[in-house]
Amino acid sequence: MKRWFDTLTSRTILLLLIGIGIVHLASLYAYQLALNQEVTTAGEVRLADRLLAIKRAVMRVPPLEREPVAHELSGGPIEAHWSRSDHAIPGGPGSTEWDGLKRQLRELAPELTEVQIIIGASRGIEKDPHLAMISMQLPDESWINISLFSRLTPQPSHHGTILSTSLMALGVIGLSILVVRWMTQPLRTFADAARQLYRGAEHKPVPEHGPREVRELATAFNDMQARITQLLDDKTQALAAVSHDLRTPLTRLRLKTEEMSDQNVANTIRSDLSEMEEMIDQTLSYLRGDRTDEEARLIDVTAILVTLVDEASDAGHSAILQSTEAAVIHGRPLALRRAFSNVIQNAIKYGKSVSVAVGMDGENAKILIDDEGPGIAADQIDLAFAPFTRLEASRNKETGGFGLGLTIARTIIEGHQGTIQLTNHQSHGLRVRITLPKTGPSASIDVLRRS
Amino acid sequence: MATDDHLTRGQDVPPSAHVLIVDDDGQIRQLVAKFLVGNGLRVSMARDGIEMRDVLIREAIDLVVLDLMLPGKDGLEICRDLRKTSTMPVIMLTARGDDMDRVVGLEVGADDYLTKPFNPHELLARIKAVLRRSQASPQSITEPVRRHYGFDGWTVDPSRRELTDPAGVLVDLSGGEFDLLMALVESPNRILSRERLLEVARNRTANSFDRSVDVLMSRLRRKIERDGSETTLIKTVRGAGYLFLPRVERR
Repeated sequence: MKRWFDTLTSRTILLLLIGIGIVHLASLYAYQLALNQEVTTAGEVRLADRLLAIKRAVMRVPPLEREPVAHELSGGPIEAHWSRSDHAIPGGPGSTEWDGLKRQLRELAPELTEVQIIIGASRGIEKDPHLAMISMQLPDESWINISLFSRLTPQPSHHGTILSTSLMALGVIGLSILVVRWMTQPLRTFADAARQLYRGAEHKPVPEHGPREVRELATAFNDMQARITQLLDDKTQALAAVSHDLRTPLTRLRLKTEEMSDQNVANTIRSDLSEMEEMIDQTLSYLRGDRTDEEARLIDVTAILVTLVDEASDAGHSAILQSTEAAVIHGRPLALRRAFSNVIQNAIKYGKSVSVAVGMDGENAKILIDDEGPGIAADQIDLAFAPFTRLEASRNKETGGFGLGLTIARTIIEGHQGTIQLTNHQSHGLRVRITLPKTGPSASIDVLRRS
Repeated sequence: MATDDHLTRGQDVPPSAHVLIVDDDGQIRQLVAKFLVGNGLRVSMARDGIEMRDVLIREAIDLVVLDLMLPGKDGLEICRDLRKTSTMPVIMLTARGDDMDRVVGLEVGADDYLTKPFNPHELLARIKAVLRRSQASPQSITEPVRRHYGFDGWTVDPSRRELTDPAGVLVDLSGGEFDLLMALVESPNRILSRERLLEVARNRTANSFDRSVDVLMSRLRRKIERDGSETTLIKTVRGAGYLFLPRVERR
């Protein structure tokens, strides 16, 4: 239920329908009531007129002709007869409905006294199909008895109400959609812009036009966007500067190890230097996030994995690739290489051996990277992606790095609209499941970059 | 390793090869110079673009090792200027590991690049490889720096070190595999000996875990001779080496 009314459009439609519906029905009811009153009164006046006209016509002719004249003047729902006695008995079910008619008759013919007009059921035949019997006494104490077969006032039809209500509802729905579309268009632009803020190397300002509120929001949003970009750029730049300055002494150290006599010490220093370098690289890459200038292109994911697995086994690790079937997607080759490398290095570091499987699964490239390590405790799995986190409690302590490997991998994979999941294998070890859609990074981002 | 170095030097690189090191850090300059001299090269030094120009006028330099971050004109600019008048081989040293910088460095005409901190043995290997390449194909002096090779629908871009398949899909190669492929496309229809190829592969990755040429070759084949395609691109000549069969066109 909540899902149906999740959008602004549906909520606006619902609210307007209920609100306007209640007001509409209430006013329709009031209008109908007044109209009915009006129509009833008009009908009664007309009926009274006609009854009196019959009475007067009958009165003027001699008694012998009275019955034929009365009969002559009958017609439609009215059937008039002249007789010496009254046929109507007052009261009976629904007789109060005729109060209005009686009032009108008395008003139009003040000479008729209370007792000279009887409106009610037919005497003796209560089951008469006639709606009412009206008896009016003539001055010579004879009576005109008039049967009414039906009301003269037409019952108001309800088709009009249904039609107008449906029209109103349709109008409300149509207008709501238009209004909400128009009002939320800027919101969608903001949402898109916010989503792409971290993705593109350059940010695209939201157009500052439309109503004043929207313009103000756009200005504020653009300011914020510029500030965030500036902040990130400053941070990255500062780190790039620091890492550059670090690399000069690192290079000197590296070169000096060539002159050391003790090669064992030299090798230890070299491996420490490599580790420091790796940490600088990872940190820079983490800070850069998926803000990259690298263009997406058609790449064979399998070839990248083949190279990485070969490199790992050349380095003396146990690494195998299950299949060599090509898996072609749209992607950024260097970024993906880094992502896969991070995951494979992790598997080797913590899981001792790594087994990689790759293939196309419909519109996605699917990559499984399994290790033989202890896995990750279920409650720690989410933590594994957090930056600067190493799950040392359950894992080997002799591992360098900042704990950025999986963070970077996830940023890159998600920048490609892909997913990365960690699951513990049934028996033992960790499985990293990566899916990458064929389409690669979203098209709009590439458009943004090109512009 | 020592015999390989001797072999390489003896065969391809003249002992008198003269390298100019351009770096603003005095210690790095000295340390690199010392290492290269120790390995039989002649070395001059410059701390920036202006000093470099003076040295180039004074001395006959065979190759420049150029740092990217320099006071005044930076390495990219110097390289671009140098390329306007000369085909002097250039190896760029970049402190920034940014992939973009590497590519830009190659597009302004550098022949190779290394990121700091670098392994001096690798620098030596690259210097030798670049020198041999520039001597092996002197016609490159009149040719544009960037050029592509095509074979059987595949394209090799040496400056970006990229291989794309007939469908335009980028196929990743390791450094060693790419060097091997370069050696093959540069000498199609000629038997290349294992020894020659080993040298090529060693020059790129002077790492301890180099594989034999046969392993590298089988890895390269696995990537370019896909399952299903009937064509053989690389033929093994028993006892002699390898033969690259397809017609290679230069673009």
